[in-house]
Amino acid sequence: MKKKPFVTGPWPKLQRHWDIRAACNFIGGGTGTGLLLAAAAAAAAGQTFAPALAAGLCFIACGLTMVLLEIGRPWRAFNVFFHPQTSWMTREGVVALPLFGCGGLALLIHWAGGPGQVVAGLTGLAALTACGFLYCQARILRAAKGIPAWREETLTPFLLSSGLTEGFGILAGLAAIGLAPSWAPLAALGLGLLRLAAWQNYGKGLSARGVPAASMAAIQNIGPAFLIVGHGLAALLLATSVPWPGLAALSAIGGLLLAAAGWWAKQTIVMKAAVTRGLSIPRTPVRGSGTSRLVNKPNWETEAA
Amino acid sequence: MKPTRHGSARYVPTYCYNCVAGPDLLTVKVEDGVATEVRPNFAATGIHPADGRVCVKAFGLVQKTYNPHRILTPMKRTNPKKGRDQDPGFVPISWEEALDEITGRLNRIRAEGLLDDRGLPKVAASFGHGGTPASYMGTLPAFLAAWGPMDFSFGSGQGVKCTHSEHLYGEFWHRAFTVCSDTVHSRYILSFGANVEVTGGVCAVWRHAEARVRGIKRVNFEPHLSVTGAASAEWVPIKPKTDGALMFALINTMLFEQPRERLDIPFLRDRTASPYLVGPNGYFLRDPESRKPLMWDTVTNRAQPYDTPGVVAALEGAFTVPEAVEVGADDEVWTYSDVRVETAFTRMAETMRPYTAEWAEGICDVPATRIRRIAGEYLDNACIGQTIEVDGAVLPFRPVAVTLGKTVNNGWGAYDCVWARTMLACLVGALEVPGGTIGTTVRINKPHHNRLASVKPGPDGFMTANVNPTKRGKWEEKPTGRNAHKTLVPLVGNGAWSQALGPTHLAWMFVRESPESWVRPSYPEMWFIYRTNPAISFWDTHQLAETIARMPFVVAFAYTVDETNYMADILLPDATDLESTQLIRMGGTKFIEQHWEHQGVVLRQPAVDPCGESRDMTWIATELARRTGLIEKYNAALNRGAGSVPLKGDGFDFSLDLDKVHSGDEIWNAACKAATAELTHGADIKDLAWFRENGFFVVPFKRVDWYLYPTMVEQGLRFELPYQERLTRAGIELGRRLHEQDIHWWDRQLAEYEPIPRWHDIPEIWINALRNTGANPDDYPFWGVTTKSMQHTTGSNAAVQLMDEVAGNLRTHGRVVMNRKAAEKLGIKRDSWVEVRSVANFTRGQVELVEGIRPDTILITGQFQHWATPYAKDRNYPSLNTITPMSIELTDANGSGSDVVRVSVRPIEEVAA
Amino acid sequence: MTRYVMVADLRRCVGCQTCTAACRHANATPPGVQWRRVLDLEIGEYPEVQRVFVPTGCQHCSDPPCVAACPSTATRQRADGIVTIDYDICIGCLYCALACPYEARSKVDEPVYAYGDDPTASETARFDPRTIGVAQKCTFCVDVIDAGVAAGLTPGKDRAATPACANACISGALTFGDIDDPNSAVSRLLRENKHFRMHEDAGTKPGFYYLWDKEALPL
Repeated sequence: MKKKPFVTGPWPKLQRHWDIRAACNFIGGGTGTGLLLAAAAAAAAGQTFAPALAAGLCFIACGLTMVLLEIGRPWRAFNVFFHPQTSWMTREGVVALPLFGCGGLALLIHWAGGPGQVVAGLTGLAALTACGFLYCQARILRAAKGIPAWREETLTPFLLSSGLTEGFGILAGLAAIGLAPSWAPLAALGLGLLRLAAWQNYGKGLSARGVPAASMAAIQNIGPAFLIVGHGLAALLLATSVPWPGLAALSAIGGLLLAAAGWWAKQTIVMKAAVTRGLSIPRTPVRGSGTSRLVNKPNWETEAA
Repeated sequence: MKPTRHGSARYVPTYCYNCVAGPDLLTVKVEDGVATEVRPNFAATGIHPADGRVCVKAFGLVQKTYNPHRILTPMKRTNPKKGRDQDPGFVPISWEEALDEITGRLNRIRAEGLLDDRGLPKVAASFGHGGTPASYMGTLPAFLAAWGPMDFSFGSGQGVKCTHSEHLYGEFWHRAFTVCSDTVHSRYILSFGANVEVTGGVCAVWRHAEARVRGIKRVNFEPHLSVTGAASAEWVPIKPKTDGALMFALINTMLFEQPRERLDIPFLRDRTASPYLVGPNGYFLRDPESRKPLMWDTVTNRAQPYDTPGVVAALEGAFTVPEAVEVGADDEVWTYSDVRVETAFTRMAETMRPYTAEWAEGICDVPATRIRRIAGEYLDNACIGQTIEVDGAVLPFRPVAVTLGKTVNNGWGAYDCVWARTMLACLVGALEVPGGTIGTTVRINKPHHNRLASVKPGPDGFMTANVNPTKRGKWEEKPTGRNAHKTLVPLVGNGAWSQALGPTHLAWMFVRESPESWVRPSYPEMWFIYRTNPAISFWDTHQLAETIARMPFVVAFAYTVDETNYMADILLPDATDLESTQLIRMGGTKFIEQHWEHQGVVLRQPAVDPCGESRDMTWIATELARRTGLIEKYNAALNRGAGSVPLKGDGFDFSLDLDKVHSGDEIWNAACKAATAELTHGADIKDLAWFRENGFFVVPFKRVDWYLYPTMVEQGLRFELPYQERLTRAGIELGRRLHEQDIHWWDRQLAEYEPIPRWHDIPEIWINALRNTGANPDDYPFWGVTTKSMQHTTGSNAAVQLMDEVAGNLRTHGRVVMNRKAAEKLGIKRDSWVEVRSVANFTRGQVELVEGIRPDTILITGQFQHWATPYAKDRNYPSLNTITPMSIELTDANGSGSDVVRVSVRPIEEVAA
Repeated sequence: MTRYVMVADLRRCVGCQTCTAACRHANATPPGVQWRRVLDLEIGEYPEVQRVFVPTGCQHCSDPPCVAACPSTATRQRADGIVTIDYDICIGCLYCALACPYEARSKVDEPVYAYGDDPTASETARFDPRTIGVAQKCTFCVDVIDAGVAAGLTPGKDRAATPACANACISGALTFGDIDDPNSAVSRLLRENKHFRMHEDAGTKPGFYYLWDKEALPL
């Protein structure tokens, strides 16, 4: 069968509506969720959890603040709660309320010297809602039908795993200064490997689905450094915590690398791979007694089946 | 639509005539005295061919009105030095001071004599594209008429930017200043570079869209995939300037590969000069007594004068004629006995014999099989023998047409193309009949508003023709204008439009440097410019700006500062499109593809008050007339119709008092009444107040009057084809006259006067021109061509942001357009910057890589590269005009040139705005 | 029921952008904001190449992803299919713009004028501060439709009740009307011609149809 001709013309465009501020929300949301989850585990085990809990809440709050700075009408931010029926953005906002409620309360009770079980319970609830928050964030991107690189369903596991990995990476850093449990580096390493698998899976998904060449290029561009530095080197450094627990700085750096790699990937996904699908037509019109031709997708590197 | 009120909003009917495809009828929404929106005028539904819709350009008029860069007071130059590098130092002055300055000089000129010592007018005036400024200049034409001799030869692009040869030959052969397809009936159109979807206006766009849905087949021959190519059924990427060869091959295929019955034999025999016998010296063989051309009568088997009753002429063949004469140039006569001669048709066929499809394939880069197929399709669709009833008249139905675009129908090779196009129509009887190739309007002949009425019986069974004399004693040896139009170009005629038709680049060239044996003309003492910017719209624009800087005194009606009025001495702010009053004709058949079933007049009226100190052109013209003591002549010119329509006619008289100074309203009130009286024979007279409410007035126009054929039949006339005896004679006479003056630099042009055109390797003319400058043709491997965009063409609107913005939705706007693969070979990437260089100059721009262009061609749309016009100068767009040289070598016999230039392209770093 | 749709005949469209300019006028959008625009597409490789002009803008989808995405309910769909934006509710997050597969939405964060920092008289007259910092897009000229319907007019048939782009289109490519009315022009065009919608795979069910050929006549 003759190959269908490609369209050229208005090329798929990099979206300009969301910039680094929006990316920061995904960064803060993911990292914060990871930290909250770690805090919940630590709290349940009776280990140091408060710094992780506080940091996690801060990350999420910072992310949301950045969004507030991005939207055109920040004074109307409350309107974000109006559409829980279908909007993942509303749901993200709704989930954030109990998240901050439980998390904040846990911190307050903890600092006030309240009962540890209550604190652990509230931290656990905060972590649970944070997972919901992170899931909502992942679905926000998935629901953006204008951006093929976000539509790919394997993006959700990547965002979930990356969020947790980033949080545990930071946790490894906190552990180095005694503000988190010592198992943090190994947990981070484990999650990092999980994320790597999710990343590879995302890449495969993009190839299979077909996305604009510019999207693919953006993802592929960060691939080697993301793999070698963000995971390989980070894993090596984190692994030092087993034979040489005294060299905490190394595992801290490994944890931070792991986190930074996730942030870089998200910034890339939100700002560089976020290319529109382009405007195209499936076939050309018949002008007078001319002929119509079937048309391929515009400037997409791979073609959907 | 009547001016109506919704809240504080008013809707004011008016027109847009920013291009020759106007007027478009529109309404302007005015809120609290501010124009805010342009809308179609749906009151014209059923009257206007596109039901009152408006071209995109009209939507620029609101921004045009409120452009903060407008000149809003009269200004004078304070820097006596002129040039691109000289700040003019314009300072505001009063109208009184400005008019005093101008009329003081005018009065001095009048006192000293209107002509200089070479007989050239001391005052010159230039106006923009295609007469469009006439629809905005109010009564200025009456002042120009009152003034006397004025030089209109400094063009803004006429000759090189118009469809020049089509104008001249079109009008000569079928009263078709411009030519189009009868789209509402056509089934098959061959379009050679015509870009009707861009330049044809709303009427043409509407008609062609209807035709496409109906299933018409249009084949577009063009080096790049233009908008019209896009909207065609088939695009043929032909090599630039080889269209004539392809048309010759189409004719050859029809003549030698198809049975004769597939042609319209009766049409060729009875409506063309095909059966005229041609003598040994190449002139028609004539009856010794009457000197009428002879045909071979198949009834009596003898030669008979063409108008002998009952004659059935032989279309082709060779015959022996016992007694005959030939009349050559300067009335030289040859007398013959038993002379063996052929018909004009046979001569034509033999001339076309070598031009086979295979021959054309090598020249045009179009496969011979495709050429044959297209020739066959043309004949298949010609419906030979069929008729159609139009307004009760039975006319031939020949739904095939051939249209030509700029660069095809001007410059070298244009004669071949225009002749071949008209011949293709004649072969199947599709000239000036329903479905065929038809004309629109006349400008060289009169009356301008009725081309059918311009048809008068002339010599040899043909129409009269407004051809400048070439015989000794009658030839205009001493030019009366700086471009010498009557001296050099017989076919341009001597009408009101003739001088401005060109060759206008010769005026610009001659004032700088005159050729051998030619006295260099003076610069005019005063030059008026209105709605024109030749420093952008002509060629070799850098040099042109330098030439303009040498003009001693320039008066510019100025909208903003621009590249031409940068050299002006006085700027006069005229009230623009939405601020002033004028009445113009509309409907009937007009430029481009305006075929209405109504005709009438339409008013342009101030939707809003003029901004600043800008004044209505009618007020300015009246002041000029008053202050130069010409008010009587001015009023007389108005009464004759110089402002719009004659104010006195059959059964009506709204003449203005000659000695009074009339207000604009008085003048236009009289015009409104006179126009409606003329249209209704006095039955229905409308005044200015009525027009302000209603906008336009029409009466029915018969569809049968779209076609010239019935008039030709009625007057027993023949189309002057295929054989160009009259023009060949004129060319030979012209050559003799010029040689008598020791002028030889026009010899190449003289060679173009051939009775039947032959192929002369047209592209090679450009290659040779390169060689003659000492350049190596291999260094300039691309053809540089241009095209128009509807958003900007002729609109003088490069400073209108909205037009720039919406034009930007098209990939070609403001870019150097290249074939993707050709660019890749040069290492040129998408959206990168390139320099396009010719022997004359260079231009730079961002590249747009497309598939729809020949690999050997680059395209630059529109006319940009402004350096003074606010807004436009920040666009940083390239322009082919910057790099296209002006030369006599690249000027054809009609004085026109083509927008084609050999160029090189190289990647460069980004150029900052 | 009433379901308003736009039909664009790609055989007719010549890319002149008259609809774009008319829309800019009718809706007083600032420079660079085009609710209606016409794309210039090329298909194929030289010399087998076609060029197609495609009017586009908000497709007023039956299943509009923007409506689902909008967290504030500023973007809504009316019963007649028209997708609207309530400027007084919109928070300007532009999530809707990313949810739209048709690149139909815009936002300006501060006033933009044709000529530099100062508005022209017409821009001053038309400036609407509600449009700053919020999402905006084609509304099918909903105010005109509503006023027309209230006056007893039929959108798509009566000019005074029809979107500016369809009114202005000089090639007759754009036709507006009620697809639920079998006698409307749009229903007739869709019956008589082959058509598609853009990005059908996105499942948005656009209310914007493209004609590309006549329907084979029934035997």
